[in-house]
Amino acid sequence: MVIYFLAIMLFGTYFGRYTKNTSDFFFGGRRFSWWLITMSIVATGVGSHSFVKYSAKGFEHGFSSSMTYLNDWFFIPFFMFGWLPIIVYSKVRSIPEYFEKRFNPSARFLATILLLFYMIGYIGIGFLTLGKAIIPMLPESFYIFGSIIEITLMRAIIVIAIITGIYITFGGQTAVIFTDLLQGFILLFAGFLLFILGISYVGGGQEFWDLLPLSWKLPLADFNKPSSFNFVGIFWQDAVAGSVGFLFMNQGLLMRFMACKSVNEGRKAATINILFVLPLSAIVVGNAGWLGKAISVMDPSIVSPSTSPDEIFVVVASIVTSPGIFGFIMAALTAALMSTVDTLINATAAIFVNDVYRPIMKYAKKEYTDDKQKDKEELFAARITSMVITAAGVLSVLAFIQFPTVYEAHGYFHSTLTPPLVVAIFMGVFWKRFTPAGVITTFLGGVALMILGARFPEVFISPFDHGIEMNSDRPYSYIRAFYNLIVCVGVGVFVTMTTFIQNNIVSVIKKNNNSNTIMLILSVIAGVSFLLVILGSSSFQYIFPIFIIVFFPIIVTYYGKYDEELSTKGLTVYSINEGKQAFKGSKLNEKFGEKVEVKLQLSNHNEDEIMCSKNDLIKLGAAVGDLVYLSDKRKWLGGLKSIHSRFGKSHNEDGIVYLNKDQIDHGLFGNDKMLIAEKEM
Amino acid sequence: MDYFSHSWLPYMYLYGIGGIFFFSGVYIVWKTGAIDLNRPHHRTWMKVFFLGYAWFMIVHGLFTILALQ
Repeated sequence: MVIYFLAIMLFGTYFGRYTKNTSDFFFGGRRFSWWLITMSIVATGVGSHSFVKYSAKGFEHGFSSSMTYLNDWFFIPFFMFGWLPIIVYSKVRSIPEYFEKRFNPSARFLATILLLFYMIGYIGIGFLTLGKAIIPMLPESFYIFGSIIEITLMRAIIVIAIITGIYITFGGQTAVIFTDLLQGFILLFAGFLLFILGISYVGGGQEFWDLLPLSWKLPLADFNKPSSFNFVGIFWQDAVAGSVGFLFMNQGLLMRFMACKSVNEGRKAATINILFVLPLSAIVVGNAGWLGKAISVMDPSIVSPSTSPDEIFVVVASIVTSPGIFGFIMAALTAALMSTVDTLINATAAIFVNDVYRPIMKYAKKEYTDDKQKDKEELFAARITSMVITAAGVLSVLAFIQFPTVYEAHGYFHSTLTPPLVVAIFMGVFWKRFTPAGVITTFLGGVALMILGARFPEVFISPFDHGIEMNSDRPYSYIRAFYNLIVCVGVGVFVTMTTFIQNNIVSVIKKNNNSNTIMLILSVIAGVSFLLVILGSSSFQYIFPIFIIVFFPIIVTYYGKYDEELSTKGLTVYSINEGKQAFKGSKLNEKFGEKVEVKLQLSNHNEDEIMCSKNDLIKLGAAVGDLVYLSDKRKWLGGLKSIHSRFGKSHNEDGIVYLNKDQIDHGLFGNDKMLIAEKEM
Repeated sequence: MDYFSHSWLPYMYLYGIGGIFFFSGVYIVWKTGAIDLNRPHHRTWMKVFFLGYAWFMIVHGLFTILALQ
């Protein structure tokens, strides 16, 4: 395992050579093929839903542990033809930036805070899982330089965090994609190897099936019991909040799709991932639990039914494999977890640089000699941020350590943190009338009502509980997502539908001579109400959300300027073609063409353009000014050596493409290499 | 023992409520012109949407039938 860790670290760091600017660091230069991204997402997805927690649920409940891997399709039309083209064509680098473009800077500020909480918490969950997986394999203590060092969960997590932090810091997104690609293959292989060995251990497929009790064979959990694992709670927490969260607000996953060479390649990657790779991943991560149950039925002295669910993966792997294979499988497990964490660290750094560092530098009126210097400094900031976020992720583990299983910790986390952002993104993209007052009040009013729900679940959440029994230690871990979604949607719809009332109130206030005083009073009441809900120190806290929901829209409408036509252009599902045109910078050319093989020639032109022959342009269906994607002919590179550019003026040498030195360097093209040119749009 | 609440009830809820989200999504992207059925590869994507929905319904349905047998 030590060798494996070192190899991965070196492998990832090697790809630092492909990182020349912040675009490369965060988006890998938007150059990769769908298959490469699909495989790299495997490691991210599997890691985040981890061997540990699904094996635990597989052991306790059977095949229904796979539910969360097979319920992501419902939102795919929204994602593939709504959110994905919007984020690519609007050239936003982070989700909060979308909020500024679509609404205003205040919406971006609140989105940044919520998203950073979400991402750092997610990293914490990843580290916790990692620690729990590794601890059973390590001795309780070891001697070094004459002193005894105890191995604790937190110490193990810190060591892993340092290793992960190193290759992210130096490698960036390309390193993440390639280490995840390698680890994706390894963990799929390791998972199926364990399954095959386990089946063979219990005597074959039929025996395995017969050993499992009926309720373990059912693919969906019981509708509403037990409270720690029930279908309806997990449906709202995972299939709805989780799926939308995963596809729409997981900055790490979005950056992976944005690293695809085109929107259509992103769609292909998402489709193959959800239709085929996730179901395979469900087997990979859950089978140790299913095998554990089968073995415990066969012979309880080998696997005791009272085995800790979070340890079942390691227990089963150690029983059904030989020591060498066991080490390999454990390395794959840790690989999966590292892959999730590395993606999240890189994504969180992207949010920080884009939504905190750059606005601060802009506010401080920082001047740069040229774009290269700016890029160099931002890249340095990104690397420092990666390290700081790694440390913050380790600290956030403390918030989740109290949960009995990682699965519940993750479910609670998702139910609590995703709804406001998920609702805000969703309504922003699919509802043109959704206003800045609506989004800001969704954040603040939604959070206030969610806090009240968490504080008084028997009052607020129980009407939505679908008959799930309330566990007083961890009330409504999953179904709280339903309540949280309802209140966030409710606030957003209410505020947007009453926009005309807010406008009337604001115009009345503006006519008043004491308008500033009135607004100051309203702001203080709304702000204090929000603080009192957070602190929970007043017995009137039930009433405070009303002040928040009524006053904040008036405050936002009074101080903010909003032009619906301008603010929604290219940023909602209604105007994707306008966004596409803005991305290109000129009229779209939808003419079909074919890919053309061309030989590279060096040219000394300065513009970011490539020159093809007239005949090649006709074959490509392209015209001067159209966007082009140029890649190495070797398809197995998956676009690693490639560039995006524009078609410049044409020449008469068929099969020849002229590139300048910068383009050749950026694409890492060798001399006299054959390239493939294709029109992007 | 009655397994309805462990088998077909969650199945109906999943593809009923989930279906409302799914078909709303298909309708919205079609109605807004985000997916343009005059373009051949958009038509292919539309087919993929429905086949994908059917694929998951079949997988869950088949496993439920096999388990209950």
